[in-house]
Amino acid sequence: MPSPRKSKAPSRTRREATQAADLLFEIGTEELPAAYVPGLIDQLCREAEGLLRDAHLSFQKAATYGTPRRLVLIVRGLSAMQQNPAVDIRGPSKQAAFDAQGKPTGALQGFLRSQGGTLAQTKLVASPKGEYLYFLKPAQDIPATKVLPTLLPQLVTRLKAPKTMRWDESGLRFARPIRWVVALYGRALVRCQVGRLHSAALTHVGLPRHPKTLKCASVAQYLQGLKRAGVLLDHRARREAIQAMVARAALRAKGRAAAETATHGLLDEVTYLVEQPHPLVGGFDAKYLQLPRELLLASMAKHQRVFALEAPAADQPGALLPQCVAILEGPPGKPAAVRQVIERILNARLADSLIFWQQDHARLPLEQLGAQLSGVTFHEKLGSMADKSARLVALSETLAAAWQLKGQEMQALRRAAQLAKADLVSTMVKEFPTLQGVVGKYYAKDSGESSVVAEAIEEHYLPVAERLPGSLIGSALSILDKYDSLSSYLGLGIQPSGDQDPYGLRRAAQGIVEVAWAVRRPLPLLTLFAQRATLPPYAGMAAAQSRSIQQKLQQYLLERLYTFAWTGAPTPSGDCIDAVLAGPCDDLVDAMERIVHLQRLAGHPGLLKAAKVIERTRNILKNAKVHQAHVDPARLQELPEKTLWERYQAQAGPLTQLADRKAYTEMTTAFGEAFYAPLHEFFDQVMVNVPDEGLQQNRLALMQAIHTLYTGRVADLSKLACLQQPQES
Amino acid sequence: MDFQRLIRTLDMFWEKQGCVIVQPYDLPMGAGTFHPATFFGALGPQPSKAAYVQPSRRPADGRYGKNPLRMQRYYQYQVILKPTPDNVQQLYLESLRACGLKLEDHDLRFVQDDWESPTLGASGLGWEVWLDSLEVTQFTYFQQVGGMELQLIPCEITYGLERIATYLQGTPDVYQLRYGPTLSYGDLHLANEKEASAYNFEQADVALHQELFTRYEADAKRLLAAQSLLPAYEQLLHCSHSFNMLDARGAVSQAERPRYILRIRTLAKRCAEVYLERLGALPEHAKSAKK
Repeated sequence: MPSPRKSKAPSRTRREATQAADLLFEIGTEELPAAYVPGLIDQLCREAEGLLRDAHLSFQKAATYGTPRRLVLIVRGLSAMQQNPAVDIRGPSKQAAFDAQGKPTGALQGFLRSQGGTLAQTKLVASPKGEYLYFLKPAQDIPATKVLPTLLPQLVTRLKAPKTMRWDESGLRFARPIRWVVALYGRALVRCQVGRLHSAALTHVGLPRHPKTLKCASVAQYLQGLKRAGVLLDHRARREAIQAMVARAALRAKGRAAAETATHGLLDEVTYLVEQPHPLVGGFDAKYLQLPRELLLASMAKHQRVFALEAPAADQPGALLPQCVAILEGPPGKPAAVRQVIERILNARLADSLIFWQQDHARLPLEQLGAQLSGVTFHEKLGSMADKSARLVALSETLAAAWQLKGQEMQALRRAAQLAKADLVSTMVKEFPTLQGVVGKYYAKDSGESSVVAEAIEEHYLPVAERLPGSLIGSALSILDKYDSLSSYLGLGIQPSGDQDPYGLRRAAQGIVEVAWAVRRPLPLLTLFAQRATLPPYAGMAAAQSRSIQQKLQQYLLERLYTFAWTGAPTPSGDCIDAVLAGPCDDLVDAMERIVHLQRLAGHPGLLKAAKVIERTRNILKNAKVHQAHVDPARLQELPEKTLWERYQAQAGPLTQLADRKAYTEMTTAFGEAFYAPLHEFFDQVMVNVPDEGLQQNRLALMQAIHTLYTGRVADLSKLACLQQPQES
Repeated sequence: MDFQRLIRTLDMFWEKQGCVIVQPYDLPMGAGTFHPATFFGALGPQPSKAAYVQPSRRPADGRYGKNPLRMQRYYQYQVILKPTPDNVQQLYLESLRACGLKLEDHDLRFVQDDWESPTLGASGLGWEVWLDSLEVTQFTYFQQVGGMELQLIPCEITYGLERIATYLQGTPDVYQLRYGPTLSYGDLHLANEKEASAYNFEQADVALHQELFTRYEADAKRLLAAQSLLPAYEQLLHCSHSFNMLDARGAVSQAERPRYILRIRTLAKRCAEVYLERLGALPEHAKSAKK
């Protein structure tokens, strides 16, 4: 939430200051989708601040709130006067403004009418495009009460929801029908129209079971009325209240809220499902505790939005209890009866889950289940999920080699790749799609697969909600699955554009980068693609086309680095990333390492020295044609070039070794230290572009050798912004 | 309140709101939305208000009479109001009160559920209505039917009658519900629920339904070409039911499923076009788009 804004307008006179008042704008709706409300609350605040500012209406502070039934804007200390500064508004050109007799044309008259001005308030201004007539609009104070009736309805139309609808002939679109609008300025009603609705000083509470209307003559009265009716308007306070309710109810049930409560999204969802939260403890048959924890949690969360409880234990998480906490919309008249129904439904759902669980188990081992994947389409042009699994197996070999996996690890990765998608044909995943992978993990274990394989099957769908794969094999499979999808869709010419990304490719690319960075093993993009290119849709594709897609894919992955959230490292600047990406990028993770090393060196004199060496050698090489590959020591004439060459011969080995060890920091400073001074000397005393071509080529070859010694391994430092800044020395 | 009276009470309630009380359609269908009163009623610029009970056939939902919440044939009570009255949510709540539900005693919630019927090319935004966490009604503002953006927005209210009756009668088991003064719901339907589940899952002739699907589809196309609208639409209903049967029998692979659905939707779209053409209400872009 933004901090209170101070008005930038000149200081108010006392009379105006006392005229400031509070604005209340409430959009009363039918139940908004829980997932939309937080975004709408933020937008309402942002748009209101923007519109008020654009309208020259100063205010102390704008705040917004939301429940399933209302979006509320409260602006404190909104000035009573819109203070429009004087502006010059361009009108028609001189030719268009006056006819041959010098009389105002229709165009000029129309312009003046639209601006509410007279000819006396205009002047001609010369511009390169000719003379234009300007209307000198004087500064003007308009009462806020005149501005708000058009401004507030605009606010409504500016709010964007993921899906909107129409509900009456006004054609207005919103996430759900708007049924009332409250608009108050101070104690006065702001008369405005939203769709077919007229604003009123009446709000509605007790929805949906005890609908009541409440008069609200001021912000204070409105807030008091909601409070008295039990509505918790402030969503943050409501979230906390619900969390506390669950905790208290859990304590009474001798347990605590399940560890996942805060992270699973249920708390956020429930916050926007009710506006008068009221807790109710229920339970289910303990025999269902034999089902996996994730499944019980999903069943409770998805079908009934109730919170799971667990036994208090020293370790996280504790064993689940056969109890739950429901958050109702207001207290029901007969809580016992409500509890009975909730429990009955929960038991019936869990009974269904248990049947699915047992039916699936009759179809195990998992490998046998996986045999049906040929009937599940991955993509029309890319075949079935069985085909995708086969590709994962093929790709797993390349990655296993790059990661130098041991025999057992390699086998586990291969096996996990083979079984990763098998749970998609289970009844359980059809019922709970979000449990894909989790179900596979349990079924793998129950089929006698190793825990490494089982874990990797679950983890290959990560990262989800900031959770990363914890195991090496899981990380490998996670990368491969996303790489396969990304390379498959790009191969078909499908790629995200704007906000259209139906196949989630941006997330896949982001996921690859996140997992690769977390695991810090090489990700050789070229080798991986060479393997991928032997499979559809690349098999049989012209080499040039396939290469261009490879480049696009690499580019696409590397671009993620600009928005990547670097954990455990300072966020690199754009020029630092530019510099590394201009160097070799076959190994994504190595490129990321180099970025971090360089960023850590930011401001270090050693980096600047190295950058100067790269810049100066680059400048001389930029427009030169270098035919000679290697330096010929016999042709070195001057002392500075001989010194430089000696330095190169002495340093090339150790520097390369530093790069091999990925000691890029040391490599960079050592490189700068080694060449900065002798190169300076060299340029001071030796001409490169001399008439003797042999001599010139030999010197260029020397420059090239020094330049690529660094850029061929680390980065093109000439991209660094620090080179643009004025330097001392 | 027994089951037959529940239906009558809703009939009377919605009759008072100006609905025409039509009768169930006499062909198998998966939901009340397939009834021409809703499918065609939703299209075009003319107001339309109707209510009716519709037995709904969902072959894959059969549980041999063992699950108290899922059946392969159950009763939906369907209300379609076009244009949607502003107080439609309140009207709905009043109808529940009229049936004898004391809303004060319960927890009632409108939980987002954006409804879609891919076969009918219909979609809308709305909610599941939760009574004590059990979905008892589907509440939808239609936005599209037959692939057509709607001119007047209708609201569709679909009550799950059995579920509501379990609250009114205090019996959790559907089959224990009193249907009338002397018969239980189970007396009327349990035997068939078992038999039909066996038929849907085990006995139905796959080859027959595959052939029926193809032939009904061809017939629908022929009839549409001949501008014979309702007969064509009825062939679509047959197609849809045959598809549901094949699905229950496990004879539709994941890959085939979208193709079957598209074939039915193509018929639905054409039916909607022919209907709007007759009303002179086919939008310009739809005219140019069709061949």
